[in-house]
Amino acid sequence: MDFMLELDCVTKAYDEFVAVDHLSLQIPEGEIFGLLGPNGAGKTSSIRMMIGITVPDSGSVRLFGRPLTRPLLDGVGYLPEERGLYKRMKILENLVFLARLKGIGKQEATRRALQWLERLELGAWAHAKVEELSKGMQQKVQFIAAVLHEPGFMILDEPFSGLDPGSSLQLKNVLLELKKQGKTILFSTHRMDTVERLCDSICLVNQGRSVLRGGLREIKSSYGRSRVQLEYEGELPLLDDPSLVAGYNDFGNYVELCLAPGADPQQLLACAMQRAKIRRFEMVEPSLEEIFLETVESTKAVPSHA
Amino acid sequence: MRNLLLIIAREYLVRVRTRAFLLFTILMPLFVGGEVVLPSKLMTRAPSERRVVVVAADPVLGNAVRAELTASHFSGEEIGAEPAESGNPPPPQFEVSLQGAPSEALRQQLTAALRQGSLDGVVWIDPNAVATRKVTYYSRSVSDFVATSLVSRALRMALGQRQLTEHGFSPDQVKTLFTPVSVDAVRVDKQGSSPSNGLGALLLPFVLLFAIYMTVLIYGIYVMRSVIEEKSSRVLEVLLGSVSPMQLMAGKIIGVGGVGLTQIVIWSASGALLGSGGYAMAHRLLGSTIQDAHIAPAVLILFPVFFVLGYATYATLYAAIGAMVNSDEEAAQFQFPVTLPLLFCMLLATSVIGDPNTPLAFWLSMFPLTSPIIMFVRVSVSMPPTWQIALSIAISVASLYGLVWISSRIYRVGILMYGKRPNLAEILKWLHYA
Repeated sequence: MDFMLELDCVTKAYDEFVAVDHLSLQIPEGEIFGLLGPNGAGKTSSIRMMIGITVPDSGSVRLFGRPLTRPLLDGVGYLPEERGLYKRMKILENLVFLARLKGIGKQEATRRALQWLERLELGAWAHAKVEELSKGMQQKVQFIAAVLHEPGFMILDEPFSGLDPGSSLQLKNVLLELKKQGKTILFSTHRMDTVERLCDSICLVNQGRSVLRGGLREIKSSYGRSRVQLEYEGELPLLDDPSLVAGYNDFGNYVELCLAPGADPQQLLACAMQRAKIRRFEMVEPSLEEIFLETVESTKAVPSHA
Repeated sequence: MRNLLLIIAREYLVRVRTRAFLLFTILMPLFVGGEVVLPSKLMTRAPSERRVVVVAADPVLGNAVRAELTASHFSGEEIGAEPAESGNPPPPQFEVSLQGAPSEALRQQLTAALRQGSLDGVVWIDPNAVATRKVTYYSRSVSDFVATSLVSRALRMALGQRQLTEHGFSPDQVKTLFTPVSVDAVRVDKQGSSPSNGLGALLLPFVLLFAIYMTVLIYGIYVMRSVIEEKSSRVLEVLLGSVSPMQLMAGKIIGVGGVGLTQIVIWSASGALLGSGGYAMAHRLLGSTIQDAHIAPAVLILFPVFFVLGYATYATLYAAIGAMVNSDEEAAQFQFPVTLPLLFCMLLATSVIGDPNTPLAFWLSMFPLTSPIIMFVRVSVSMPPTWQIALSIAISVASLYGLVWISSRIYRVGILMYGKRPNLAEILKWLHYA
C-alpha cells in the first residue's frame, strides 16, 4: 500500500518540553485522516514537521514515499492553525501570490481563485483587504490558499475552527468532494462529530504520543461490545457490583454502563430484571467523544511539568 | 529563482503602492524645493534701499565711510566675484548723508527719525574711533545681517585707509593693499590634479553620506518590520512550504532596497530639476566656493558599490532582529546596538572628511560595520590608495557574506519562535541549528 506521508518515530523537544514523542503514523492515499488529541497534545508540532517548518530531533518524515524536501512540498496544500495571510493585501492578491509561489501561472491562479471565492460565497470580497474580513471568512480564504494549486495531499490544521455551522457544512462537502477526486486529506481537530462524518482513519495523540490509531470503524466496533444503555424504574444496586459493571455514567433518564471484562450482558439483564422494572436495555457503540475522553484519561502519564 | 523574484516583486509593489510612499516621495522634494527656491525667489525680489546717516566729527573719515558704503557693492570686492548670472539679490543700496559734530541732541534727533522710519540707520563714529576701533550702528532691526556686515566692512576699510594714510601711504597704495586675495584649492592625486574648492569638496560627501545613512536606517527598519509582520501574521508558515528562509530573507532585503533606490532616483531627478534654485541658494550661502565642486568619476562609480554594501549589511542585521522578536516594541531594544555603528559613522564622518588619512579613518574604513560608509567618505574627499579601497570592499563583501550566513540561521529558527524572547545563549545555540 502506498502512503502519502509516513512519520517514523518522530521526536521533537522544545527545551525540556517534549512536544512529540516517538510518533509514528502512515497516511494511506485517498483517505481522509483525522489527527485528534486534546489541546497541547502535539498535533500542531507534528504537522509543522510534516511540512518542513521544523525539523525533527530524531526520526524521519517521508512524503510521497521519499524523504521530505522542499520541492516535494509543491504537491502539498497547507492550512496553518492560525491565519497566515497578508492582512493589508487584497484577498485575490494574497491568493494569486501564494499560488504563484507554487508555480501556477498568474492568469490561471486568478481564474481559479475567483472560482473558489464564488463557490465559498466570498466572490464579493475578492478585492477587499484581508483585515476587513471576519475570522470565519479569513479561514475560508486560507482554505482556498491551501487548495488553489490543486495538490494531491492536503494538511489542514484545525480547518473548522471559527466556522459557523453553515460554513462548516460547506467545508465538509468540499472535503468529501476532494476525496472523491482521489485527493488525500489530513486534518487535525478536536471536534468529534466532524471526525465521525468525514474520517476513514484516525490517530489520537496525547502528550506527544500516539495512543490510538487505525480505521474509524474498527476502533468503534472494538469499543462497542461492552456498552449497555439501561432505562429503568427503582433502585439498581448491582451497578456497584464490580464483577458485572466496570463503571457507569448516570444521565438522569438512563444509565450507560461499561461491562466488566468477561461479564455476560445476558446475566446482567437477568439480574437487573429481578431488582427493577427495565424499560430499555440496549447494547451501544460508544461515541468517538467517549473513546476520546476515555483514552486520553487512561493514557495520562505523570504530568511532565511536575 | 522564480520564487525569489515573486517575493522581491511583492515586497516592492506592496510598499510603492501605499499612499504613504507616494506622499513621502513626492512631498519631500516639493518641501525641500520649496524651502530652497521660495526664499531665494523672495530675496531676489527685494532689492532694498537704506537711508543711512553717518555722524563723524572727522569729515575725512566720514567721507571715506560714505564712499565705501555707496561704492563697495558695485565693485563687489569681498563678497566674491558676484557674477551677474548667479541670481543673487543685489546688496542693499545705501543713500548716505553726512553729519558732523556729534552731540547728544543730534543723537536724539536721529534716533527719533529712525523710529519714525524716515531713516534706516545711523553710523555713529566717536572722535576716538580710530584708536578704539569701535563704532555704533543704530537701526530698527539688529538682525539685518547684510546691511550690518556691509556697514562693518565699510568702516573697517575706511578706518584702515585712514590709518595707513596717516602713516604716509598714497591712496593708490592703500587700494592695492586692500585688494582681496583669491585662493584656488587644487587637489592633487595619482591621476593628476583637479581644481576643487574646499567647501564644495566638503559638501558633497556630506550629502552622499546622508543619503546612505538615511536609506540604511529607514529601509533597514522596513526590512525588520516586514519580517515581524510576516511572523506575527503567520504568513511565514505558509510561505515556508514554497520558499526557503534564505530566499525569503534575500527577497525582502532586495525588494525593500529597491523601494529605497526608487525613492533616491526620484529625489535625485527632482533635485536636478530644482538644481538651479538650490544652486543659487548654496551659492549665496557659501559664495563662489561651491562653483566648481565637481564629482570625480571614481566617486560616481564607487557610490553605488558602497551604497549597496552598506544597505545590505545593515538590512541583514535588521532582518535578523526582526526574526528574533515578536513586536516592534521589543525590536527597539535590539535595534539600538545595530544602529550604534551607524551613528558612530555619522559622528566620526566630520573628522574623517577633515582628514581622511588618519589611522582612525583607515581602521574605520576597514572595520566591517563601518567600512562601506567611512571608505566612501574617504573616497569622496581624497582618493585613498587603490589597495585600500579594494581591501575595504573585500572586507565588506566577506563580512556581508558572514552576516547573511549568521542572520539566515537566526532567521531560520527565530521566525518560528513565538512568545519568549531569546537570550544571547539561545541565539548562539541557534547558530548551530538547522
